[in-house]
Amino acid sequence: MPTDVAQHAAPDLASRLAALVGERRVLARPSELRSYESDGLPGYHARPALAVFPGTRDETIAVVRLLAELDAPFVARGAGTGLSGGALAEGSVLLGLHRLTRILSIDADDARAVVEPGVVNATLSRAAAAFGLHYAPDPSSQTACTIGGNVAENAGGPHCLKYGVTLNHVLAITVLLPSGEVVTLGSADGERDGYDLLGAFIGSEGCFGVALDVTVRLARAPQAVRTLLADFSSVNSAAHAVSSIIASGIIPAAMEMMDGPTIQAVEASIYAAGYPVDAAAILLIELDGAAAGIDDDAARVDAFCRDAGARGVRIAAAPAERARLWQGRKKAFGAMGRIAPNLVVQDAVVPRTKLPAILAEIQRIAELHRVLVCNVFHAGDGNLHPNIGYDATSADETERVHRAMAAIMQACIDAGGTITGEHGIGLDKLPYMDALFTPATLGAMCALREVFDPGRRSNPGKVVPVHSCREWFAAPSARAGGAS
Amino acid sequence: MVRRAIGTRRRCQLNAPPVSDVTAALAERVRHAHVTGTALRITGAGHWLDAGRPCRADASLPLAEHTGIVEYEPGDLTMTVRAGTPLDALRAVARGEGQWLPLDPFGHLGGTIGATIATASSGPLSAAFGTPRDHVLGCEFITGTGNVVRAGGRVVKNVAGFDLVRLVTGAWGTLGVLTEVSIRLRALPEIDRTLALETTAGEARRWLRASAYTPLAAEMISARLATDMGIGSRDTLLLRLGGNRALVHAAAESASALAGSRDVDTTVWDTLRTREPADAAVVRLSTSSSQVAALWDRVASIVERAGGHAHATLQRGIVRCMLPVQSDDAEEHARLRGIVGALLTLGSSVVERLPSSLWAKMVPPAASDALSIGVRRAFDPGHVLNPGILGELA
Ligand SMILES: Cc1cc2nc3c(=O)[nH]c(=O)nc-3n(C[C@H](O)[C@H](O)[C@H](O)COP(=O)(O)OP(=O)(O)OC[C@H]3O[C@@H](n4cnc5c(N)ncnc54)[C@H](O)[C@@H]3O)c2cc1C
Repeated sequence: MPTDVAQHAAPDLASRLAALVGERRVLARPSELRSYESDGLPGYHARPALAVFPGTRDETIAVVRLLAELDAPFVARGAGTGLSGGALAEGSVLLGLHRLTRILSIDADDARAVVEPGVVNATLSRAAAAFGLHYAPDPSSQTACTIGGNVAENAGGPHCLKYGVTLNHVLAITVLLPSGEVVTLGSADGERDGYDLLGAFIGSEGCFGVALDVTVRLARAPQAVRTLLADFSSVNSAAHAVSSIIASGIIPAAMEMMDGPTIQAVEASIYAAGYPVDAAAILLIELDGAAAGIDDDAARVDAFCRDAGARGVRIAAAPAERARLWQGRKKAFGAMGRIAPNLVVQDAVVPRTKLPAILAEIQRIAELHRVLVCNVFHAGDGNLHPNIGYDATSADETERVHRAMAAIMQACIDAGGTITGEHGIGLDKLPYMDALFTPATLGAMCALREVFDPGRRSNPGKVVPVHSCREWFAAPSARAGGAS
Repeated sequence: MVRRAIGTRRRCQLNAPPVSDVTAALAERVRHAHVTGTALRITGAGHWLDAGRPCRADASLPLAEHTGIVEYEPGDLTMTVRAGTPLDALRAVARGEGQWLPLDPFGHLGGTIGATIATASSGPLSAAFGTPRDHVLGCEFITGTGNVVRAGGRVVKNVAGFDLVRLVTGAWGTLGVLTEVSIRLRALPEIDRTLALETTAGEARRWLRASAYTPLAAEMISARLATDMGIGSRDTLLLRLGGNRALVHAAAESASALAGSRDVDTTVWDTLRTREPADAAVVRLSTSSSQVAALWDRVASIVERAGGHAHATLQRGIVRCMLPVQSDDAEEHARLRGIVGALLTLGSSVVERLPSSLWAKMVPPAASDALSIGVRRAFDPGHVLNPGILGELA
């Protein structure tokens, strides 16, 4: 492992970086670095040794080559909205990519675009709208997060239920390896033989190198959309409605659940969407596609909800109402943030038939640890977001939140699920990796990382616990192959 | 210092299911092969062993007996199966629950799921549902040193750790022997209807691009192949429409604007999958979808003149060519070399099958870039898994 830059080439490094990108684009003073000490994950603070903000692709390459020459660790950062601490850069050089915001091309006929990594997700969709196209993966943070960050986290979003996550929408990436070498992964013009290194790169959380440009598939705007709001007097019946809709073969574009505490937080905020405040849970279900047949599907969804015990189901009558219903969902985290000084946004997945049981278990855990969990999540995928608002200045409360989160993670694993569906491992989920994967599996992940980043300089210490790598590389079989 | 706010200090219980006896025994064989330098040919049902480059192997590692469903929870639309399970068996079980795995690779219907994923094989349904990388949720595999890795999981959304699942999907066994896979299933569409339309690739592509409907499949069939399959005598578009009654009806109405359309039985898709002669040379050419009609026009005539067939998955920009190999002599190989050589200049290409003598002459090795070489070295340092199949040692 390379040493901290702080103890290393630092003084000289700042001026050499400044020579590449300009004085103003290198930050070294603690006061200037403060806003880069954290990302979307609350409670963590880690000071980078330096921050550098290249303005062009060539500058980015030059910076990474210099860092390679000096054996200095670095962490790429997009918008810093990540929720697992992936962009924390303690003692490393923070490589800010938010200035690389050019949309290099939009090809309407082939429905794809080539963008720089700092392009904001929603900006791309807005630019594509002129051609009747949009970028389908829509994380709730889409007005801020970048395509580079989306690729690194394999981000999802409400509409990924039908359209798939980032992985399913990226055709090719130009990658700047930590060594400074530039390679193309994937292909935009036809198939290639060989390993799916593009697939391996997507979701690698900045540990395999820097995405310099990304070729994405764009989706056509659907001919018709129906947005339904179903209102339930119990979380359990909402979960059952989800199961029957999924089993019926209807694939909604999105199917989101919000529980009572979440609804109340949203309705008390400036994002109030007209949700029924006395509901125990609501489902926000969107159907889209061709106009023909869509009302038949909507009628079936309505019936499934009522059969499961919905008190009422209503269809958004106009685009404005639809937008308002979605705004409440997308800003739910923000709304919750207003009711407590700190908010931990959790992320886990369970098999869809386990939703009723896991929601009951989460409630039990919350009561046991005396914390308030607000659930707002991608129900159609079984992708939970049990969030806990708390006051980090209270040691006792923080400790109870810890314990509740650990218990929830373990419950999701026990249910046959996983510890993250879209936010990544980063630093936050490292402690759970041993519970989910065998040592050989973690070792194989380390071996893969080693191929892209032999010095482990790109986002060091994230995703796979360091001890797993040590164990794998110490194993005789791996040594025999010189897997470095 | 990082101040840890949320996260656990407890180390959780390891609760990964234990490795099965069969997997353990297979792993022992691979470990032994690694130590002794024995090259292994991994085999599934054996229907497609002549695909890919010639392999140099000392022994075979059969997976065909390693069959069966480990877990199937219809309500989750996920299934975990052993790698040797044939696709047709899996199809029968899923159909009993009103579900399917919408993955229809060409070749024998009893090909194994393991081989399908190892070779990333797909068919016409990939237009709507994607390729194996879009269906696989997790897998168990044995690395070239005999380590048993359990990657991914059984849920439909998962970003925990680096993506070993995508890495081994399509690696042709060279990074690991697949022993078990978890896949996502779909509910069968309420209506599943297929139309045959006599039209050109250009017309078909224009309709697809402008249409509000997303067909399950839209496959162009060359005139000779259409005749062979008994669905027409000219270039024909096979259009598979799925969804509720109103949707499929409207889509079929809209498509009939293309040319006089005819309903054909959905079994036509199995006919297409199993159509190619066992010894044909098979080359897949591809381009962006806007260029696919032009590619088709050039390719189909070359292929048909040479006595072969072509079909194209239009939305994916893929034209697949089958060329019969009449004999195994030098003259025939020279003829083939001329035709295949001409085809390979027309687009991106993936060669599926060729007479063994032609591979090294015509097709550059796959996975020959530094990263791929590094990955191979990390997962199979002794080159004991299907050596040569990617062209690296052939
Ligand atoms: C309110 C809120 C709602 C959210 N909703 C969702 C949601 O619905 N779905 C979802 O998936 N996520 C969601 N997120 C999480 C977050 O927005 C996503 O993970 C997003 O993809 C991060 O993008 P970013 O640009 O902010 O990346 P950052 O936080 O800056 O970085 C994240 C990781 O990506 C790496 N990285 C960044 N750029 C590059 C690059 N060019 N090359 C290589 N690595 C790079 C970093 O090193 C880091 O490891 C939400 C976050 C918030 C705050």
